[in-house]
Amino acid sequence: MALTLQILLPFFGGLACIPAARLGRNAERWVALASLLIPLMVLGLTCLGGDPGRWIAQYRVAWAPSLGIDVIFALDGLSALLLAVSLVLGAVSVVISWQVHERSGLFHAALCWTVAASNGVFLSFDLLVFAFFWEGMLVPSFLLIALWGHGKREAAAIKFLVFNAVAGLGLLAAVFYLGATGRPVSFDAFVLQGRHLAPITQVWLLLGFALAFLVKLPVPPLHAWLPDAHTQAPTAGSILLAGLLLKTGAYGLFRFPAMLFPNGFLALAPYGLALGGFGAVYGATLACAQTDAKRLVAYTSVAHMSIVLMGICGGRHFAMTGAAVQMIAHAFSASALFLLIGMVYDRVGTRDLRKLGGLQQTAPRFAAAFALFFSAALAMPGTANFLGESLVITGMFQGNWIFAAVALVSLLIAVVYATRLLIAIIFGAPGPAAVTQDLSLGELAPIVVLAAGTILFGLFPQLLILPLATAVDAAVASLDAVRP
Amino acid sequence: MTDQSLAILLVLATTLFAVGLFGVLVRRGVLLQLIALEVLLAGPALAFIAAGARRGDAQGQAMFVILLVFAAAEVAIGLALYLRLRRCADVSDSDSVSQLRS
Amino acid sequence: MSSNFWLLLVPVPTLAAFMTLAFGPFWLGPSQVRAVALAGAWLTAALMLAASGVCASGTCHLLAPVFTVKVGTASVALALILDPLATVVGTTVAIVGGFVISYSLGYMARARLADLRRFFAYMNLFLGAMLTMVMAGDSINFFLGWEMMGLCSFFLIGYNMSLPRAFAAGRKAFVITRFGDVLLLAGLLLLFYEAGGVRIDALVNAALVMPPGRRSVVAVLLLGGALAKSAQLPFHTWLPVAMAGPTPVSALLHSATMVAAGAFLLARFAPLFAATPEVLAAVAMVGAFSSCFGALVAVFQTDVKRMLAYSSISQIGFMIISIGVGAPQVAIAHFVIHAIFKSLLFLSAGDMAYAAGGRTDIAALAGSSTRRPIAYFSFAAGAASLAGLPLITAGWWSKEAILASAVSAGPLGEILWSLALIAVALTATYATRAVLVGAGPSTLLARPPAVPPAGIATNAPLVLLAAASLAGGLLVGPIVRFLGAAEPDTPAFSAIVGAAAVLLGVSAAFALRRHPHLASRIARARKVRQGFRIDAVYQQRFVRPFRHLAYWLNGVRRGGRSSGIVDPLGAVPVLGIVWLVRRMIHWAAVDRVDRVWMRLAGMVPELSSFSRRSQTGRVRDYALSLIFGIAALLLLALKSPRLPWH
Repeated sequence: MALTLQILLPFFGGLACIPAARLGRNAERWVALASLLIPLMVLGLTCLGGDPGRWIAQYRVAWAPSLGIDVIFALDGLSALLLAVSLVLGAVSVVISWQVHERSGLFHAALCWTVAASNGVFLSFDLLVFAFFWEGMLVPSFLLIALWGHGKREAAAIKFLVFNAVAGLGLLAAVFYLGATGRPVSFDAFVLQGRHLAPITQVWLLLGFALAFLVKLPVPPLHAWLPDAHTQAPTAGSILLAGLLLKTGAYGLFRFPAMLFPNGFLALAPYGLALGGFGAVYGATLACAQTDAKRLVAYTSVAHMSIVLMGICGGRHFAMTGAAVQMIAHAFSASALFLLIGMVYDRVGTRDLRKLGGLQQTAPRFAAAFALFFSAALAMPGTANFLGESLVITGMFQGNWIFAAVALVSLLIAVVYATRLLIAIIFGAPGPAAVTQDLSLGELAPIVVLAAGTILFGLFPQLLILPLATAVDAAVASLDAVRP
Repeated sequence: MTDQSLAILLVLATTLFAVGLFGVLVRRGVLLQLIALEVLLAGPALAFIAAGARRGDAQGQAMFVILLVFAAAEVAIGLALYLRLRRCADVSDSDSVSQLRS
Repeated sequence: MSSNFWLLLVPVPTLAAFMTLAFGPFWLGPSQVRAVALAGAWLTAALMLAASGVCASGTCHLLAPVFTVKVGTASVALALILDPLATVVGTTVAIVGGFVISYSLGYMARARLADLRRFFAYMNLFLGAMLTMVMAGDSINFFLGWEMMGLCSFFLIGYNMSLPRAFAAGRKAFVITRFGDVLLLAGLLLLFYEAGGVRIDALVNAALVMPPGRRSVVAVLLLGGALAKSAQLPFHTWLPVAMAGPTPVSALLHSATMVAAGAFLLARFAPLFAATPEVLAAVAMVGAFSSCFGALVAVFQTDVKRMLAYSSISQIGFMIISIGVGAPQVAIAHFVIHAIFKSLLFLSAGDMAYAAGGRTDIAALAGSSTRRPIAYFSFAAGAASLAGLPLITAGWWSKEAILASAVSAGPLGEILWSLALIAVALTATYATRAVLVGAGPSTLLARPPAVPPAGIATNAPLVLLAAASLAGGLLVGPIVRFLGAAEPDTPAFSAIVGAAAVLLGVSAAFALRRHPHLASRIARARKVRQGFRIDAVYQQRFVRPFRHLAYWLNGVRRGGRSSGIVDPLGAVPVLGIVWLVRRMIHWAAVDRVDRVWMRLAGMVPELSSFSRRSQTGRVRDYALSLIFGIAALLLLALKSPRLPWH
């Protein structure tokens, strides 16, 4: 029951935001915050009182038994961490959108619904329900970009929607095939886990699943929606996009292929590694020439998530642990960067690197925050990103060292774009668009939260590695069972 | 009446019918078509009488009388129409009265 | 909580100072900021001295675990250790760091409060990071300190916000050292994967049982990291431009501590390198070439900071030579002595430059003997030590130890010895030249603005370091023995030839002074001064193509016109799908089913106009159709046995 609250509370809270907007005095913001923070507390209680076994909590209710569709939620360490991240990021985006006034009820509803749908993705183990939540994430985020974004927002939103919706068809096709061809008909992932499909079938089904997940990750060449969507989205939208939606793709890739299609996964893993390696270098290279700060960070997201792909395709303990850690670390650091850039944009109205500058002189707290989160993007030891990336690279050594070398090249190029952004924004004399107003206390709060996440997990890796161990072990075990 | 004479009479009736039909179809003048109609009507009339005589049934004769009445009525109206046509449109050719053509 | 928990506290004061200055309350005034910075540095130095006392007195292999994490089957056990190597290097770093921060109090006197905080915060963070690295007992802590030093270096080089040259220099330093860091990370992770743990002794043991090919690969990777950080050939191009940072930064980071971190890395993993003799030979050769290269280019410099930078390259080359011949202890001894006199040289040069109006070229030093006597004479002491004047300077003793270890290491060692001798001679030349210029009368055209005399905070470190750079020779032997090696016995001829080389260099400097035309030829040798333009080669071969690639991928062609496709790979699916959709729309826009219906519908008027023709309006025709209809009906109705439906 507590698990359904993770989805229902944000959903109904969002619904309540729409009439609440008419009450005035920021009622809808408080409603949104409540509908995000209460599930967080419930999540904490669930984890504290949960099973120490494979699943912390489970929930199952029959929905359409003749069609084999049940509502199955299961929580383990990975899902719990991702749920916590999603709720925290949702709360952060509500807090920093305090100044959004037009159609504010619908705005907060869209925020809450995105979080609700992502929570559904992280929790569902019935494939049809999973697909439902997967597609369900698209509409509120589309609204966020199209209605409250800037620049050419409609085009960006449409690109986002079309890419992801079409890719979701692959997922749907595979899910329907899987469910309908079972005797009895069932969409339960645990039941489907027991079906031993022919390897070639597994490969095709995996491709269907992977299409949806790879577009969401995103991995070049399917990444073209990301830079536009991130750049034109409002700050809250960028935070949810980068911190949350990308992780749903990574989570899907982590969880279901190993569980349902281990043979296919092993067959396609080398291609996944190559794709991820290429994407990491490609994204990093493209980031080096950007003049729009948000677009630069968007391309770095492409690079980092490609590393996550490499980690998942590594298929063994180090690599998959690294991928999971990197997922969570990137959620914090990328969201923080978008947050900071969004704040700069709100103050001076431009994101152009050629016009910004001199932040160290005019707003030192801002500069310090930028420096911290860019160290995270650089995978500086002490941040969780370093943990994730080095675990992934170690995992790469277990396979072919070429992939480790490619990941390291991506790390090298990271310095180029990180210093580019830092020098353009922080160093130098204040440019034509000088930020004069430093971070206020209210703005510091979300930044401190995100910084705490990055540094805490970096300095105390057991906080991440221990909860993730069950999920990683299960995934590796299902792969090891079929490894020749 | 024997079958043979019935047959001859029916052939005669058919001939009359055919001649009358031929006349209606071929001749253009309204009067001549009316005359042909009379001949045409004579055919079935003769056929009815012959059949009645063959069966010894008076209904044949009764049908003949009805036919006579039909013929009379039709001739009356036909002549009236013809006179009308002659007087108003100076027409005696049935083909030229085709304004109902679509 | 192990009994050695106090070891973990050693870097804490510096880190606490960093946190206070970076994130702390904003009502700290300038004097409070200075106090916090000084306290952070000197408290750590005191703790380090206490640790070295513990180490010197008895057992010197203490382990202070931090925590342990299990990842799969491997265990990541972080710890700090204290062994002779860590003690010697750590104490040096802490004390030199303390001196430099004391000096900076005066040097940064006129900075704004916010800048002051930033400077001292990063300096303290750097000290903490370096000490973490030095005392690291596992590869994670080691790499943590290593990377953090690089980050601090970036921010400190670019400290002066109005100098774009400094940002570019910081960036170049970061990128090149990052390249080395990536190689180092690869090596460390490979070792972690093989060993299943991160403790350095575990890593070294795992390396020793590796197959030789893999071991060499790991050694080369670690070597790459070390060379980049220590600015050796071929990764040396960042150090001279890093001199754009303030003088204390150059004194601490880029002369004494950070650049020697590479040598420290090689010393820490010495058993691994000892097991890969071919890599060790390569190490020694690189060191020899770097020392000659650095010394040669230093002779041609006109800027004193650049000269000292190339001098650092050369001196670290010496350290690397002795590591390469299997005597890392001698290298560490030289590290200590070099830290002392190099930081001294930078600090005193900085003071003299300040007195000369902020100009750092060597010619501006002229007249410093009268303007700034304390700075000048300490500079002279440091230069003497750098040159290695026989017997009376510390530099002589450490350099002789290096030469001795080289000459007694076989035929390769003798080649190295000769190269090192050339470097020694050149070193003496440029060191003496700078001193001689400073001794002469002032050649400045305009009188520099009168600056207040340096305070005690500036002069005390100079005097102390000067004394140490002269008397420190006594330390060399004890250090080598403390680190566990026998003191190399110096063959007499090596000592004599070494002394001769030094005196040769010194006299060459005097000769240059006597013969101005030689000096002017030196001044005109731009290509040598720019380090044989190696940096330009890198710029051409690596930086430019990458920048062009990045811009091309973003659709920006030459000249800044945005004419190409942005993000070609990402655009491919988009363009592909758009083309596909357009074709499908084009094909399906014609509704073929509808066409069939419309054609059917179009047949109706035809049919209608066809059937209209039967409406002639003529009686005869209607009669004919009547007859046909009646005939058909009759046929239908008549009961004729020959018709099929009856």
